[in-house]
Amino acid sequence: MGQSKTSSERLASLQGWVQKVAEHRDKAAFAELFDHYVPLIRAYSLAREPAADLVADELAQEVMMRIWLKASSYDPKLANLNTWIFTLARNCRIDYLRRNSRYVSEIDPTEIFENIEDESPGPFQLVHQTRAQDNIRSRLDKLPAAQAEILSKVYLQGKSHQQTSEELKLPLGTVKSRVRLALKKLEVLVTR
Amino acid sequence: MNKSTIHPDETLLTAYSAGSLPLSQALCISAHVEHCPTCQQEIKHLNDLGSELMQQLKPSPGSTDLKAQLLARLDSLDETHEAPTRIDKTISRCLHQFIKNGYQNLAWKRVSPDIHSVELCRDSNGAKVELLRIKPGGAATTHTHLGDEYTVILEGSFSDESGLYQKGDFLLRDASHQHRPVATQDGECICLAVTEGPIQFTGLFSRLLNPLIRRSYA
Ligand SMILES: [Zn+2]
Repeated sequence: MGQSKTSSERLASLQGWVQKVAEHRDKAAFAELFDHYVPLIRAYSLAREPAADLVADELAQEVMMRIWLKASSYDPKLANLNTWIFTLARNCRIDYLRRNSRYVSEIDPTEIFENIEDESPGPFQLVHQTRAQDNIRSRLDKLPAAQAEILSKVYLQGKSHQQTSEELKLPLGTVKSRVRLALKKLEVLVTR
Repeated sequence: MNKSTIHPDETLLTAYSAGSLPLSQALCISAHVEHCPTCQQEIKHLNDLGSELMQQLKPSPGSTDLKAQLLARLDSLDETHEAPTRIDKTISRCLHQFIKNGYQNLAWKRVSPDIHSVELCRDSNGAKVELLRIKPGGAATTHTHLGDEYTVILEGSFSDESGLYQKGDFLLRDASHQHRPVATQDGECICLAVTEGPIQFTGLFSRLLNPLIRRSYA
């Protein structure tokens, strides 16, 4: 439990820095956020393209710029800060892939992925949300390796379920059912 | 009716949250989720999961150059940044990029006496994104399609062999599925429809070929 206390303290100081950036355009606070998040964002990019160091820098830079510009729209009551950063990194990755794809999609992803975070939750949802996140964190470590591997391919390496099934030489149905089992154990699926 | 048929399944929601879904499909998920508190909740959880997985990665520090470059750019970023504006609240946020002046002013084309359609765009995988507009009580003749078809009801309601579908409902039909949707009598029905298909080629040959691969509502 000592570990989770330090991680929640760290989260509180990160949130404080975001607030300073939002309210005072504080560059020292921004530099702190850079030190904490850039290595993670780079790792996220390298998980998909292991040797692409420049791509990793580009993604990290893009995410950090969005943090600077959007800090005032971040509300800790609506989303955990780490989750907010994850969604920014994911959105930047989607933009990057769209710009660099052979057949460019005519669909602008900007408005597609930003309609969830803005809705204000009721007090019940807030309690529920914090508990859900704690469940995910504590149960992730206990997940069978075969399920954890698939989640990592899907979320970090950015593979589709189809690509995951080809790489692991597993039937598509097995991949889907392992994802489903993992989500159930993590209590991500509230209703099914 | 099985309630789960009006929501995207967990495979689609997971791919949406992970960012690996083709944008045309993500567009449908987004249009549904805007009206669905249940899926909003699940996507929040899925995003939390993505975040936890990201925290477990081995950090890869950036160079001091990168930091200096970025810090030097911050002031100019503020100068050029424009706050996004919201336009029409009656239209799904994710569709604003295609619909600037309401549904009425789109270039609707007549497909059958009961149905009009307008193509919004193409995805990079060749999928066609369009709106369909069915008259009150109007029917589409039985049809099949080449690939999967994703539908979200934006206005009104319709029914087919499997049940009644209302505003916000999400449906996925695969190529083997034959269905005959009928709009309900109380109003017209507007749907967002994404049909997977082969990549469209431009040029003479494709103009000869395209009518063959187009979905037909006879
Ligand atoms: Zn739903």
